[in-house]
Amino acid sequence: MAGSHSDPLAHPEVRQGSAVRYIAGFISTVVLMGAALVVTMRHGLDYQSLVEVVGGLAALALLSQAALFYGLDISRAQIWKGVSLILTVPLFIITVGLTVWMFQSLDQRTMVMPASNAAASQPTLLQ
Amino acid sequence: MAHDTAPTANTRLFRPGYEGHNQISARTLGFWLYMLSDALLFTALFAAYAVLDTPMNAAGGPIASQIVNPVEGFWQTIAILGSVTSYSLATVAMKNGNRGGTALGIVAAIALAVVFLAFGVNDLTTLAAHGDGMDRSGYLSAYFVLILTHAIHMGIGILWMLVMLVQIPRYGFNEMVVARMLNLRMFWQFQATVWVCVYVYVYMIGA
Amino acid sequence: MQLQVPGPWSLLLGRLTLDQIPYTNPILQVTFAVAALIGLVIVGAVLYYKKVGYLWREWLTTVDHKKIGVMYIIVGLVMLFRGFADGLLIRTQQVLANGPHAAGYIGATHGFLPPFHFDQVYSAHGTIMILFAATPILTGFQNIVVPLQIGARDMAFPYMNAVSLWLTTAAAVLVMISLFVGDFSQAGWVGLIPLTELPYSPGVGVDYWMWAIQISSVGTTLNAINMIVTIVDMRAPGMTWFRMPVFSWTTLSTNIIGLTAFPVLGVALALLGADRYLGTHFFTAGMGGNLMLYTNLFWIWGHPEVYFLILPTFGVLSEVIPAFSQKPLFGYVTMVAATFAIAGISWLVWLHHFFTMGAGPDINGFFSVATMLVGIPTGVKVFNWMFTLYRGRITYTVPMLWAMFGLFLLLVGGLTGMMLAIPAINYTVHDSVFVIAHFHCMVLMVVCAGFAGVTYWFPKLFGFKLNECWGKAFFWTFAVGTVTVFTAMFALGFEGETRRLDWTFNTAWKPMLVVEEVGMIIYVLSLALFAVMLVVSIRDRNKQKLAADPWETSRTLEWLTPTPIPFYNYAVTPQVNTRDELAWRRKYGMEHTKPDAYEDIHMPSNSGLPVILGALAGIWGFAMIWRIWWLAAISLLGVVLIVIIRSFDKNAGYHLQPAEIEAMERDLSIGAITAEQPDRSHHIITHAEAH
Repeated sequence: MAGSHSDPLAHPEVRQGSAVRYIAGFISTVVLMGAALVVTMRHGLDYQSLVEVVGGLAALALLSQAALFYGLDISRAQIWKGVSLILTVPLFIITVGLTVWMFQSLDQRTMVMPASNAAASQPTLLQ
Repeated sequence: MAHDTAPTANTRLFRPGYEGHNQISARTLGFWLYMLSDALLFTALFAAYAVLDTPMNAAGGPIASQIVNPVEGFWQTIAILGSVTSYSLATVAMKNGNRGGTALGIVAAIALAVVFLAFGVNDLTTLAAHGDGMDRSGYLSAYFVLILTHAIHMGIGILWMLVMLVQIPRYGFNEMVVARMLNLRMFWQFQATVWVCVYVYVYMIGA
Repeated sequence: MQLQVPGPWSLLLGRLTLDQIPYTNPILQVTFAVAALIGLVIVGAVLYYKKVGYLWREWLTTVDHKKIGVMYIIVGLVMLFRGFADGLLIRTQQVLANGPHAAGYIGATHGFLPPFHFDQVYSAHGTIMILFAATPILTGFQNIVVPLQIGARDMAFPYMNAVSLWLTTAAAVLVMISLFVGDFSQAGWVGLIPLTELPYSPGVGVDYWMWAIQISSVGTTLNAINMIVTIVDMRAPGMTWFRMPVFSWTTLSTNIIGLTAFPVLGVALALLGADRYLGTHFFTAGMGGNLMLYTNLFWIWGHPEVYFLILPTFGVLSEVIPAFSQKPLFGYVTMVAATFAIAGISWLVWLHHFFTMGAGPDINGFFSVATMLVGIPTGVKVFNWMFTLYRGRITYTVPMLWAMFGLFLLLVGGLTGMMLAIPAINYTVHDSVFVIAHFHCMVLMVVCAGFAGVTYWFPKLFGFKLNECWGKAFFWTFAVGTVTVFTAMFALGFEGETRRLDWTFNTAWKPMLVVEEVGMIIYVLSLALFAVMLVVSIRDRNKQKLAADPWETSRTLEWLTPTPIPFYNYAVTPQVNTRDELAWRRKYGMEHTKPDAYEDIHMPSNSGLPVILGALAGIWGFAMIWRIWWLAAISLLGVVLIVIIRSFDKNAGYHLQPAEIEAMERDLSIGAITAEQPDRSHHIITHAEAH
């Protein structure tokens, strides 16, 4: 509870704000998303490759945001944010990944598509 | 183990004058943890979207490729990233103690966020007007709720920014205002992060 | 969008009409009479002893983590009693309604509860026991003990701590209101889908269940944030990670689970809410909904939730067993590692709640193996406790008895859990009462550890011990009741009795159903003994003068504070020199050393806003349940406004003067948490103005 009576603007998280980094974060994300957009609009890839390429670009965009926007590093001010993020990221993957896996298998076993509908279908993560 | 080390003359049993934790750091860490929790919320929505994104779940209604527009989504991406960057630049102005610059950055962030929301609201109302609202099919339910949840977050962020616009001139950069500005920065950047996931997953992979 | 709901709806009262109040039901009449009587006695006592101001200033508006913890535990015990009453109704119905010729009373064909009512009773029993009894009691312990164990004055966010408490309380109140206004869900505590969808459950029952859980889980999430930041940021000097008591470790891991799992439950229920209120098709049977999606999301939360409950009780055992074995905990580091291993694996096992979904052998195999893996770290823990006991100087105090019985239940529940982890067995006993008996062993282990904790930490807070003799009587009746009920239930599972039967059609089950009922009667007896224990202990409270460490063998930092504990915890922040700090200081004769001088303590001010916030959240929930849109809008606006108003509050707490502290340290009853504190508003400080 002991409030620090020092200048709040001297706090490391205020000091770490940097115009160059934020603008770099903006540019890198826009460029990566632009690249993903180009890949998508050219329709040159099959579904699997599209997921991999676009997903990879998104992962790069997220990494650049982590470094450039959030400014995560291993300094004393930021270490617990990094640690908690690293502990949580597996949960994102587990939640979506295992769900997709189990419903993929479930749909194959229980939701056989009638042939007439096949024309309206498009590939999705479950198929 | 150090359990049996006998006390020496230098052993201290109390620590008078101990300052304890820093209030701003505690608040930003707490808020970061809230955001991880919020990220799990979006994760669960993504999982739901993945399960409901099949032609079967479209129930005869439109599927992803018929409703998403990746090019328009790209303008939204630029708008939201612009908003996030101008808010972040506002906190750089705060670092320099510049109240006017901070307010200006916040106002620009609000304006760009409104542009972003306008695109989204337009999309959803157009769909609903064609009878493809969220009650049309399981797939559209997942689509609407995912987009709307993000939009509600954006709305809360805008409200928060308005409160900050009142508090900065009123209190200056005191401990509480600074802590709120830092938390809002994380919150706002987080909206861009979520949007990148939505954009790639819904707008591009679905296209 | 206004969905068509059956029955009348008016702008002013939504779906609420006079017929929604079941005043003709004799069971509810009796319940209402008893509840009203208890309520009148409490209100009357508060008014008679002129304690309204005291209650408001010292409890309702408090931000003190110990008082908040105590209130959490009181809420939990009240709900435990309610949940137990539901359990008693279930058991009695099943034994009365056995076989085709079972007699029917008060309007039921068999037994005394018609299916409509019985279904609400078991749904309420599960919801209440897990979310409104076990969770608040454990949260209460964490609130009370963790800041003390790590040498802090309070939680990181005392105000938010109060908000969490009042949100949980508001949700518990909503569940209680459902008894007398409308009805509760009939779809089980898990919300069996699509039974919870509007066409199949058009009443307000599911809405009560859904909104109550939503409101309480917001409270739980906020509390999880608070706990984690407290542990990360507020440890006393010298309290390195590997000097931290195991209870604090388990609190950390359990709150990581709480933080990450509860949002998934929030999504599951919010999507169900969208189906019920906005007409979406997430989980509907047609129009592209997916029923299993709900089950999946629910159990993504549901299984980590099990460890959310179990881990802190492991922490309690890890405090109680060393204290009464007079030995350090065996294998401290492996204990910590096992805690986090369990927390991690708990995220990988959820499908074992629905092996029968038919996801296929690969997936069932994966989740089966993952489930069995949990047994390894749990085994490590059990052996660590056993090695702690080995050659220890064991004293069988009441907390120790509870801990020992808890270990027994953990063993029974754990081994049957291993059986259930095998898909082939699971297919056979799925939805039978064998499963019920299994998880009741686990949650009763939580209850046992809960009572161990209550008896163990009680004197620290209030300055007197709970009566040992009555405590033992309570323990033994409870233990015998537990064994009687659940041994019979395991047997019934093998005889093929399925869950949630309002009519037990097979007469071959009769003997075991009778045994269960006998066990329930023993439980009732134990409850009475619990009440006697409380009354006797409070009556005799002045007969004992307790030192800082009333058990004389406790090992961790929290026992360094005076008894009863003053509201500021530590007059001077302690320096931690080793793990088991108190045992170390005792060994070298330093446990009574006092600080040389006192200094200002910065304390947070009380605030009435959290309790108002809780009330508004409760009103909002009620308005949503009954679809009274204007009231929902106003209360939601009120919540937003209060959050904003709070952000304009410049009060940054007050300073406690050294002279005051010295007086309170001398006469401990002045600073005790039950004492009335003088007004300190003249010491209030505000946040610094502009820079």
